[in-house]
Amino acid sequence: MSIQVKNINHVYNKGLPDETAALVDISFEIIDGEFVGIIGHTGSGKSTLLQHLNGLLKPDDGQIIVGDTDITASGASMLEIRRKVGLVFQYPEYQLFEETVAADVAFGPKNLGLTQEEIDDRVRTAIELVGLDYDDIKDKSPFDLSGGQKRRVAIAGVIAMRPEVLILDEPTAGLDPQAHQDVLSMVRKIHEGDTSIIILVSHNMNDIAQLSDRVLVMDEGRMVMNGTPKEVFSRGDELEAMGLDLPDVTCLMRDLRSRGLNVPTDIFTEYEAEQAICKVIKGQEEKA
Amino acid sequence: MKFRTKYLIQAAVIAAVYAVLTVILSPISYGPIQLRVSEALTILPAFTPAAVPGLFLGCLIANLMSPVGIIDIVCGSAASLAAAYCSYRLRNKPLLVPLPPVIANGVIIGLELHFLYTPEMPLPACMGWVALGELGACYAIGYPLYKLLEHYREIFR
Amino acid sequence: MVRDITLGQYFPGESWVHRLDPRTKIIVSLTYIVALFILHTFIGFAFATVVLIAAIAISKVPPKFILRGLKPIFLIIIFTFVLNLFMYPGDVLWHLGFLKITEQGLYKAVFLAVRLVLLIIGSSMLTLTTRPISLTDGIESLLKPAAKVGVPAHELAMMMTIALRFIPTLLEETDKIMKAQQARGADFETGNILNRAKNLIPILVPLFISAFRIAQDMAMAMEARCYRGGEHRTRMNAMHYGKSDALVFVLTALFVGLCVLERMYI
Repeated sequence: MSIQVKNINHVYNKGLPDETAALVDISFEIIDGEFVGIIGHTGSGKSTLLQHLNGLLKPDDGQIIVGDTDITASGASMLEIRRKVGLVFQYPEYQLFEETVAADVAFGPKNLGLTQEEIDDRVRTAIELVGLDYDDIKDKSPFDLSGGQKRRVAIAGVIAMRPEVLILDEPTAGLDPQAHQDVLSMVRKIHEGDTSIIILVSHNMNDIAQLSDRVLVMDEGRMVMNGTPKEVFSRGDELEAMGLDLPDVTCLMRDLRSRGLNVPTDIFTEYEAEQAICKVIKGQEEKA
Repeated sequence: MKFRTKYLIQAAVIAAVYAVLTVILSPISYGPIQLRVSEALTILPAFTPAAVPGLFLGCLIANLMSPVGIIDIVCGSAASLAAAYCSYRLRNKPLLVPLPPVIANGVIIGLELHFLYTPEMPLPACMGWVALGELGACYAIGYPLYKLLEHYREIFR
Repeated sequence: MVRDITLGQYFPGESWVHRLDPRTKIIVSLTYIVALFILHTFIGFAFATVVLIAAIAISKVPPKFILRGLKPIFLIIIFTFVLNLFMYPGDVLWHLGFLKITEQGLYKAVFLAVRLVLLIIGSSMLTLTTRPISLTDGIESLLKPAAKVGVPAHELAMMMTIALRFIPTLLEETDKIMKAQQARGADFETGNILNRAKNLIPILVPLFISAFRIAQDMAMAMEARCYRGGEHRTRMNAMHYGKSDALVFVLTALFVGLCVLERMYI
């Protein structure tokens, strides 16, 4: 499974007074097994890009090839694309509508035309994968659940389709720190399963730095950076100019350095930071 | 929360949802060949009295949003108001709740169609035609919607 | 898809027509519609057309914009025309099998079509030159006398204002919900009418719940800002009748007079 995006453009409201270029000449490739993070300020085109990847939007020109299907070609089967590429929107709990949790999670598989047995099996697996107790929750009304639970049910609804690519748009928005970590562990677990590619859009740079193999940076409809977290987050000044943060740990290191401590600033995880700081302090102790 | 403000807002929300659904699904929402999915909302008076002014205004606003709709404003909105009120009175008989809009719209819009668009089509035919469309929206979509919303009655309180 | 819908018909501008009091425009529009039913000859329609064109010219709304609004109903006009063409009895002009077109039929079909077009454009002038909020204010003001008979004019106007404010928000929500369900394989495009109708449930239920959730928050916000209902509320942009309005009323009265004369003597 791989994704190739070649020179796509997308313009909103073509010909009308409020015409805007949402995506300008975007090209990138994602290979099998990658965990890709996408960052960019609000309005940079992230959501628009995501919706192109599963066929909800079609680019004005360019090509998008998912696996071995050109999804931009006319006649491409949308259902097949959406089975392969699952998209979890922001605040996905607002899409719940069925009478029971099980019925709602079954919505996706039902649309795929699977047998009742298959559907039940997938529903059970998906609910357990998101960390909920199947027997406990399957007959409850989705609207009787807590916010965190609702979100998990919504995500289960997408996972039940067994996508090969899972795209998550800010899955931790509005969650308390514990729920935040739970969702991230869930995403890691999913990546270890049948879903070979994960695309995560987030404003939380710590998450992006920790989880991504590669980071794509969007700015004003263009893709301005495409590299490993190390490569991207070393360009701190450029990121700041675009209104983007750095991981907390990186900020700390930069701060320490600006106050005279001789620490490297291309650090993106707490572990590395700990090591680096200890090293410098030991060095100073030895000198003294 | 004071009763008054809640009532007001509920009505406004219902009006807005009706208008949004009508506008999104235009062009089939306007003109002599009308299938207004938003008419499924006519089951709402069974849940809250605020749906009576709500549906009335919803129809008004929806009609304001289209050139064809505008001629329909007086008749369409009047029909919605009459229907919503009757549905409200029938709220304890679920199967009858979608009926008033079918009749009200059939009669009033049928009259409008006859005089405005096709005077040569006999009046009963015009009425029957409109009633048919309403029947589809109100019973085929409205009734299942009613059954579903029954589980969520608390949002109306 | 949802983003491309132009909400309502308002075309911004500062023309003489735009600046008239909304109440004037409402009354004049209603009068024009009534007048179109009083007239009964093509000469009368020609007169009404001239008046309409004059109004459009003064309002400075581009004719292209108006015609664009007519596109969706173009088919309806054709449909009406054809229907009437074949259904009217009288002196046959042409026939093929059991289909026949009569002289009277042709006349009637053209007559009705022209009236329809004038009605639509005439009433569009109201919404093209008046902001929805102004319309609401105008309607509220005109309905005030009815308040004496128990019609809650202010409440209705308030509901309408809030509904109008909600609509863009709800459109966005609907778009989001549609896309989320489509991402799960829902299909709103294919299938017969009944099928498509059933497929709307996954949109309607979340839409409702979202709408009411937003409504709760809004009600609380209003109360927190001391909203208590409308008896003595004042307005930020008060409406005034002015000299232009008086002139328009006079011209309208003249117009109606001429229409009545047309009915009686032509």
